[in-house]
Amino acid sequence: MNSELVNQVAADFGANGLPYTLPIHPNLVHLTLGLFIIGIAFDIAGALFPLQRTILKFLSLTAVRSNFFDVGWYNVLASAIITFFTVASGFYEILLATPAGEDVSAWDLNAMQTMLWHGLGGVMLLTLIVTMAVWRGFQRFKWRKDSIRQVQWVYLLAGLGILFLMYLHGTLGAQLAGEFGVHITAAQLLRSGQDPNAVLR
Amino acid sequence: MFEYLPPLNEHNLPYPDTIHPIVVHFVIAMVLFAFICDLIGYFTKNPRLYEVSWWNLFFATISIFISVIFGQVEAGLSLAYGAAKSTLNLHTILGWSLSAILAGITGWRFVIRARNPQMLPSAYLGVSIFLVALVCFQTYLGDKLVWIYGLHTVPVVEAIREGTL
Repeated sequence: MNSELVNQVAADFGANGLPYTLPIHPNLVHLTLGLFIIGIAFDIAGALFPLQRTILKFLSLTAVRSNFFDVGWYNVLASAIITFFTVASGFYEILLATPAGEDVSAWDLNAMQTMLWHGLGGVMLLTLIVTMAVWRGFQRFKWRKDSIRQVQWVYLLAGLGILFLMYLHGTLGAQLAGEFGVHITAAQLLRSGQDPNAVLR
Repeated sequence: MFEYLPPLNEHNLPYPDTIHPIVVHFVIAMVLFAFICDLIGYFTKNPRLYEVSWWNLFFATISIFISVIFGQVEAGLSLAYGAAKSTLNLHTILGWSLSAILAGITGWRFVIRARNPQMLPSAYLGVSIFLVALVCFQTYLGDKLVWIYGLHTVPVVEAIREGTL
């Protein structure tokens, strides 16, 4: 964002450009990603359950197939709920970002391009996660209520596709922090010619 | 000997980006969600959620060891400067401790579940609160290392290499 515009609100913000010391978005990202990935993983484990019987037996782990589908459903549902807040906090923080203009990332994108793709990707992923949760709900409570395998193969395939999008999207987000120093106190201090070692001690 | 090691990039890492903050997704999210499931399961008397909780906890325990390994590698390469050192030390000690604490609690849960998967003692819930608090505090420390001190970020690594930090 244009720093003149940001300055309209940011006069008394911290060195990181936020009204609080630690960004909120990256913390909610832990929940969005962790819950969604494990949700899909357990649905895959449920779908391929017959293949794991020997492993589970070897480990003396009692497991019921339908419980794996419970994990698949509840985790994806929780991910869908929390991701609204992940995206909201992400937009708040991306609108307050003032990265240095000149550099390009490892993916040859400059800061503004990276922010645009990460913002767009966030809304797309929210849409996809919520769609997946609704789709999963229909399989669980309507279409496949009585089948042994509660999920369709195409749902699992879609899940894996979304995981790949999450990898791309997450890397863009990591580049905003790790390469452009967005909302990183030490990086912003260095940029304004201050010594983090003195200021942050 | 050092010439046999892979070269380090501008994040001071032998691979493109930090891995530890990715692996910890599965510890933070799974421990917190396991607790939420236990809580809802306990108060709505729905033992089905105890199983959801157990599998999340099981996965968190596998993940914490992987995340400690990557965390240790990345801590060693972090070029932690004076102001960041004490936070990194505390994060390291608590990280190792948490791997033992989490494994212990998961073991306890395994026994509870083996005896009666429909029941959860309230003492277990009490200990879970302690676990959740530790995980949150550990996340706070890790957040500080990235978002305050900027370890492994290009501007900070650059400044350290140039000798300005």
